[in-house]
This record gives sequence, C-alpha cells and structure tokens, in this order.
Amino acid sequence: MSRIWAIAFKDLRTNFRTPVAIVWMLAAPLALASLLGLAFGGGEGYSIAVTKVAVVNLDEGAAAEQGGGRQNLGDEMLAVLRSTDLSTLLTVEVVASEAEARSRVDAGATPVALIIPPGFSAAVLSATGGGEPVTVYRNPAQTLGPSILQGVVQQVVDQFNGARAAAAAAVHFGMRQGRDEASLSQAATTAAAAFMSEALSGASGAIAFRDPQVVETDSKEPGVTAVVLSGMMVFFMFIAAANVARTILDEDFAGTLPRLFTTPTSRGVILAGKYTSVFLTVLAQAVILLLAGWLLFRIQWGNPWAVALLTLDGAAVSAGIAVFLVSILRTPAQAGGVSSGVFVTLALLGGNFVGTAQVGGVFGTVRRFTPNGWLLEAWDATMRGAGASDITVPLLVVLGFALATFGTGVLLFRRRYA
Amino acid sequence: MTFIKVENLRKQFDPPRGIVAVDGLSFHMDEGEIYSLLGPNGAGKTTTISMLSCLLRPSGGDARVGGHSVREHPQAAKELIGVVPQDIALYPELSARENLVFWGKMYGLSGAALRRRVGEVLEIIDLTERQDERIEKYSGGMKRRVNIGVALLHEPRALYLDEPTVGIDPQSRRSILDVILQFRDRGMTILYTTHYMAEAQELSDRIGIMDHGRMLAEGTHEELVKIVGEEAHVELTVDRHLEQLATAWREMDGVARVTVEEERAILLVPDATVTLPRLFETAAAVQARINEVNVTEPDLEMVFLHLTGRALRD
Repeated sequence: MSRIWAIAFKDLRTNFRTPVAIVWMLAAPLALASLLGLAFGGGEGYSIAVTKVAVVNLDEGAAAEQGGGRQNLGDEMLAVLRSTDLSTLLTVEVVASEAEARSRVDAGATPVALIIPPGFSAAVLSATGGGEPVTVYRNPAQTLGPSILQGVVQQVVDQFNGARAAAAAAVHFGMRQGRDEASLSQAATTAAAAFMSEALSGASGAIAFRDPQVVETDSKEPGVTAVVLSGMMVFFMFIAAANVARTILDEDFAGTLPRLFTTPTSRGVILAGKYTSVFLTVLAQAVILLLAGWLLFRIQWGNPWAVALLTLDGAAVSAGIAVFLVSILRTPAQAGGVSSGVFVTLALLGGNFVGTAQVGGVFGTVRRFTPNGWLLEAWDATMRGAGASDITVPLLVVLGFALATFGTGVLLFRRRYA
Repeated sequence: MTFIKVENLRKQFDPPRGIVAVDGLSFHMDEGEIYSLLGPNGAGKTTTISMLSCLLRPSGGDARVGGHSVREHPQAAKELIGVVPQDIALYPELSARENLVFWGKMYGLSGAALRRRVGEVLEIIDLTERQDERIEKYSGGMKRRVNIGVALLHEPRALYLDEPTVGIDPQSRRSILDVILQFRDRGMTILYTTHYMAEAQELSDRIGIMDHGRMLAEGTHEELVKIVGEEAHVELTVDRHLEQLATAWREMDGVARVTVEEERAILLVPDATVTLPRLFETAAAVQARINEVNVTEPDLEMVFLHLTGRALRD
C-alpha cells in the first residue's frame, strides 16, 4: 500500500510543480468563473448596474372634480420612478425641457430619457382617450437600462389606461341611466381618480414591480459565478484527469514506466498507484476550487455531505473516463487530442458551458446520457438546498459511469502491460 | 560460482511473423565478474537485458538470476538486480534526492534505511552537493550518474547496464567506467552492453559478441582475439578498379580475408611486413592506385569482422 501512495504522491508533486498543469487545473476555471461573474455583476447574484434616466415632466395635469383640485399623473409617474423599490435600478435626473432630455441622451450623459407630454393627465383621465403618448428616448447602443425603464413605464401606463377604462365604464353606465353631460364628466373623472388612487397606493397590488435582483434574499437560487464555476469545475476535472492519466503513456515513452517494471514492485501496484494519482489530483483540484469559490466569491455550495459525495463522485468519474481513454490509446499525442475532443463533446452535451440551470426538452434528455450532465444536475440541486439523500440518483448514475469506465480501462491496461 | 545462467533464450515480437530479436541465446555469468555483450545496434543486446530484467517475457528458453527463474519467479529475480536503462529514466521535475527516495521506495526501502542508503548513493555518484537541484537542470553526465545511482539503492547483487555511456563527454564516461570497476571490486556481478569495443575491452572479464540475436563468440579478450589469430588488420583506400584488385588479393598467399566497403578494402594478413609490398605490386599490375593504408593489430573489431564479414560500427 505504501508503494501505491509513493507513486500517487510523486505524481501529485510533479503535477503541482508544472505551471501549465496548475493553469489548467485551477487558474482557468477560476478565471472563467470570475470573468463571467463580473460580466453579470459579480458575486452571488444577477445584480444590474443602476441606470440614469433623464425625465422631463411637461404634464399640465387635469381637473379632478372630486375634491375640487387638479391631478397631475406626470408627477405620479415621476414618484414611481423615484420610489425606493426602483432605487437599485434607476436614478432619476429631472430636466426642464424635452430638448434637454434628448440632448442628455445624445451626449451620452444618460442612456435613456423619459418625456411626459403636457396632456398626459388629461388623456388618462378622459373617458375618450387620445392625446400625445409618453416617449422613451433611448441610446440604441444601450439595451439593459432602457429596457428596464421601458418595462416600468409600460406598467405604470397600463395602470393609467386601466383608469381610463374605469372612466369609460362610468360614462357608459351613466349614459344608460340617462344622465346629463356634466354629470357624466364628473362620474368619469371620479372613477378614473378612484382607480388611480387605489392603484398607486398599492392597496390592490395593481402596480407590482418585479425586482430582478436576487441579492440579499433568502432564495437558494445559485448565482452566476456559482453556476459557471460548477460547470467549469466539472469540465476541468475531466481535463485534469486526462492529463494525469496520460502520464502513464508519458512514462512509458520516457522509460520510467518500464524501469518501474524492473523493480520488485508488482505491475498491479504500479498501475494502482497511477490510478490513485489521477483520482487524488482531480480530488485536490475540486477541493481547491470549491474552497476558492467559497472564499473568493462567497459561493454557498450547499449541504456539506452532499458536496463531499458529489466531489468524490466527480473525481471518480473523471478518473474512470480518463483511465479508460488512455487505455485504448497508444501515444501521449493521441491521448491529448482524443481526450480533449471527447471531453469538449461531453461538456457540450452535458451542459458545462451553459451552467447548471435546469433545462428540459431534447437537451435535457441528451445531457442525461453524459456523466457531467448528471453531475451538473446534482450540483444545481445541492446549491438550491438539496441534501445528500435528494441527489442519490445522480450520484449512483455517475458512480456507475465511473465503475464501468475504470473497470474497462484497468482490464485493457493489464492486458497491455502483462 | 554461476550467478546468472541464460539457456536458449528467445524473443519474438508479435509472433508468429514478427521479428526474432533474440534467437537461442545461451551464456552464463560468474558471481563478481563483468560480462559485456558486444554487438552493433539491433544485435539483440537490449532485448536480452530486458528479458533478464523481467521487463519482457521470453518467447522461449529461460534465465536464472541467483537461482530464480525470470519466467517463473520474476519478483524474486528482481530483488537481486539493479537495472540501468540505456535512456535516462528519471523524473526531471524532481530533484536527485527526491528521485532516489522515490525509487528507493519502489525497491522496498523505507524510513532510516532509505535515508541512509540515499545518502550513500549520493556519495557514490558524487552529487551530494547538488542533491536538491531538479534533474532537468543537470548536465547529461550528471543525469547518467543519477540514472546509475537509482539502480544501486537496494544494494543489488547484480547490475545490468545498457549502454550507459552513450552520448556523454569523455570525462563523464571515464567517471562512469571507474565507478563500474569499483562495483566489480566490491563483488557485484555486472552485465554490460556496449557497441564501444574499447569499453568492452577495458572493463570486461569476459565478452560475448552478438549479432542478429545470436551469440557469435564469447570468452576473455585474449581468447576472442585468438579467433582471428595473429592476423593484422590492413585497411586500404583505393581510387579505382577496387573489385578487380580485391579479387587479385583474395588469390594471394598470405591474405586470410578480403572485405570491400565502398572505396576501402579491409584485409586480414598474418604478417603485414611481408605482405604489404606485394599488395602494392598487385595494385600496380591492375593499374589501381592505393591512396591510404592503415595497419592495426588484432582486436575485437577484427574479431567481429572475422565472424560477420561486417564492421562493428555498421
């Protein structure tokens, strides 16, 4: 047994002393996860940069018969945009004129401007509608911030249109009752104002803002970095396993494997040492990446037992497939090319490059023919809070892949080096 | 006392139609002697060592190392031998000490015994001062010394060295040959393969001359030289009519053998002093001109030439 460990630790030592191996095993997955995480706002969520909006409110308001004053829905729109609910998404900058609002966008000072026309309230509160529409003036090169503003404005306008519908309904009802024109006008205004008041107060929940941010929530939704790093970790575990397994062929060509065969150490022990080194290298890689993800990106990987079992399972299947591939190939060059091709194909089919998101359809079916697809499914479940018992099926399927490939590889190697 | 006995050893790769690399080889080595297998590249020397190292399984015959059959009890045989392969077989990313420690474990050493032996071997190969440097930073000669050191770790009773001086500078070669002679003096049995005639002549108690997987002759240097008698080796460079001249020389008295290679004729003659003037006369008779003459005393090269009709370096 000590000789198996001696071979395994020798391989670990040589692997972790090779800069290229370190890059492949650790730096590449961490760098990719960092870059993609930063591209989506970094850290543990889909946080989006705040968009600055230039707003010009030209609304002149409309007479509100109930209470006797005037109502300005442009101000209401402005209040919505300034609400604390949207403070993490939008910053409002009020400007004096439409021309100034447009020039702010043209000059690149803000990506988008909102122009509320003079007859906005009148149009909303009238039963017949019409009037000039609200304008969202956007920089075509910017997409995300203007889209958010457009969505918010659309929701508010929809509520205002609901007010107008309420006014129209009041007029229609009054006409059937045979009321005079003045009475109908008052009924329409009263109905629209009542609808608006109820909607803007939030009592009915008619205006609901959906915040796409998941920061500081209790949700178990995995963040971008976690999704990417888990996918990259599984992929690069396969690559690292192939690189270490290839050292069997490297050593054969370099003469150290034949020399090992001339020592009193049996061939079975020598090969067992090589297999152990593949497993331990990949395991060490996974543990380092998990720790790095936790320390650097605050990734919550989930239940420790589930994480431990998944890590061991992942290392086992990476080692199994790598040993199998190397057992059917003859030269290190062959092993490098073929292994890379196989693992990239597996990654494409299994979804390593699209994260751990739960997917359905044909892709969802295809990925289940790959061990990495099952692994990613289990990682996704674990990060969403699943325990070890909840991922039994993926664990067993992956273990099956590991045993089948490893067993075949060992048989082929024993025959080759008999 | 015989320590290694090889009987009718045979190796065919990819039977039944593959190459027969070793074909019915038999010899023995006494304990404490240096035995050299001499032959050109492809003669079967490395294949023979591979079978005696239990790296290749013989297709036929057997060899016994310290009484253990390499076919039946390879593990026991391997306990007794140290193998120095022809190419450097070390881990370049590890230091000399780390390499020796690793290989020592593969030979079953551990703990204090391993540390002691690693230290001793570093002394033997004269690398104590630079033991912590990675192998990849060593010169070719230093790597060769570590390559030999690995095989000494478990204090084997027999050492196999497969062309250990190929591609190194004369100083390193001298150093390695001196170390090998020291091993012999300590009673180690040494099997040495080479295609350098001078090395075989200097080191060996006995020499086996191999070609095409067969043993052509074996014995001490003196015994082998007697195969070609006291004949001198005369090498002549001729600018024209070489074939015609060679035919004439073959019919001359006092010429034992004539071999033609490109523009050269190689002759074995019992008495060069008497024969040389007649060789020039014959050349003049066929209007050939001799540009260069070299006369050498009988040696292993001549023995090989005599046995195979080819020069050893071919």
